[in-house]
Amino acid sequence: MKDVSRETGQARWMTDRGLMISGGDQTLGLYRKLVEADLPGIVELLPADGSLLVVLRSAGEIPGGLQEILNAHLEAENVNIGQQHQISVRFDGEDLNEVAEQAALSKEGLIELVCSLDLHIEFLGFQPGFAYLEGLPRELHMPRLAVPRKHVPKGSLALGGGYCGIYPAAGPGGWHLIGTTDTEMFNPESRPPALLQPGDTVRFVAT
Amino acid sequence: MMEVMVAGMLDLVMDLGRPGYRSQGVPEGGAADRPALIGANRLVGNADSAAGIEVLFRGPKLRFPEGGRIAITGADMETSLDGVSIPCGQTVTVAPGGTLDVGLAKRGLRAYLAVAGGIDVPEVLGSRSTFLPVGFGGWQGRALGAGDVLPVGAPMMAGAGKIREKSQQEALRLLPGPQLAGFSDLSLQALTGSPYVVSNDSNRLGMRLSGQALGYEGGELRSQAVLPGAIQVPPGGEPIVLGWDGPVTGGYPVIAGIISADLHRFAQMRPGELLTFRFVGLEEAREAAQEFGRLLDEAIVWQD
Repeated sequence: MKDVSRETGQARWMTDRGLMISGGDQTLGLYRKLVEADLPGIVELLPADGSLLVVLRSAGEIPGGLQEILNAHLEAENVNIGQQHQISVRFDGEDLNEVAEQAALSKEGLIELVCSLDLHIEFLGFQPGFAYLEGLPRELHMPRLAVPRKHVPKGSLALGGGYCGIYPAAGPGGWHLIGTTDTEMFNPESRPPALLQPGDTVRFVAT
Repeated sequence: MMEVMVAGMLDLVMDLGRPGYRSQGVPEGGAADRPALIGANRLVGNADSAAGIEVLFRGPKLRFPEGGRIAITGADMETSLDGVSIPCGQTVTVAPGGTLDVGLAKRGLRAYLAVAGGIDVPEVLGSRSTFLPVGFGGWQGRALGAGDVLPVGAPMMAGAGKIREKSQQEALRLLPGPQLAGFSDLSLQALTGSPYVVSNDSNRLGMRLSGQALGYEGGELRSQAVLPGAIQVPPGGEPIVLGWDGPVTGGYPVIAGIISADLHRFAQMRPGELLTFRFVGLEEAREAAQEFGRLLDEAIVWQD
């Protein structure tokens, strides 16, 4: 194909409205730096797993000042300055026993392990207020369900891929359910509307 | 005010969406056919950002106790006012107590009803648009139902006009996506060389296409932030165009992105419709975006 560029660089187009930037381990730091810089050509920024989406004010127009910040950032260090949350959880999930079995743990052992972890948030996605929590040990990396559930209850604590997350609202879902929380994860009237923000850390407390 | 006598298939309060909350997991949402909503708003003297009703295929029957001025744009709907057939795409005055019956779409899929003054529901996260997946914004976070009485704001200006007919459009234009390099030449040729069909399983979250399957060989992919118009390819190989209410992140490779000047055309494509794609360069995407704004400004013929 002659008419299609196959170049892959540090920045690529998602559509003409957004540039995707590879940030690697420095994604969150880069996100913070760009939020702070508040460049006029940028509508909003969305960090994900090792990459950052820059949503543009004008289609196809690379914001002035962006390249300079990207260059300068290569030498910067990543500091974690987020909030710490403690979230109470009832370990009553439908898949709790199965997850314990797959991890070669007793149910009590699994609960103890989950509550000993300091999980951190790199990004939100999937649903409003749904934070992807990272920091699970290898034995808790669960493949997603082959057939997603049509109905996952609101507040479900679940494991999927290498992540852990809480469903802010009821809906379909493909992760393994291990518990439930009454903590509200998303409220459109709050600022910010999501409880958990990129850079925050979470510890679960069993009730 | 505006009373719903009979609801349509899916009547949603929509404005131009809520940018700025993607990092909270909230997509931008808003009217699928943005230029159609803007056109309807301009025809009744509203700001472009005023809220109207997005109607899907079959519209509602509405009563206006105090009367008002309205316009319907986008899909061409079989519409009548107090039992008399009226054309779409122009300013219409409704007498007090008048009944507007928005029937079936003759062409297109989504129509936009603007009322002078705008639908005056409270803003949630900076927008009046309905976000159905979680049920907030718009009218009580849901589609309109019989018996609902919607507040309408105070009208501003009193011009009247008509939408100019648009010319026939061609292939949807694409920019190469972030994972394009992981697709074979054959897949790229399939994407642009053969038509795709809009599947039944399409809505505001995403439009599934059936046609030649595309093969990704780029290896494991980490979750990435995505945008409406991004063309994702799940393991089955049949592409999905992300819609206006689609999730803000995704784990499937994105082969290409529909340029913003063309995305609104998807709002009018019915299941079963054929479409084709072609790749363009960044320069053409930029020019298309500028032309898009110009066409919008020239879209209305004003009457004295």
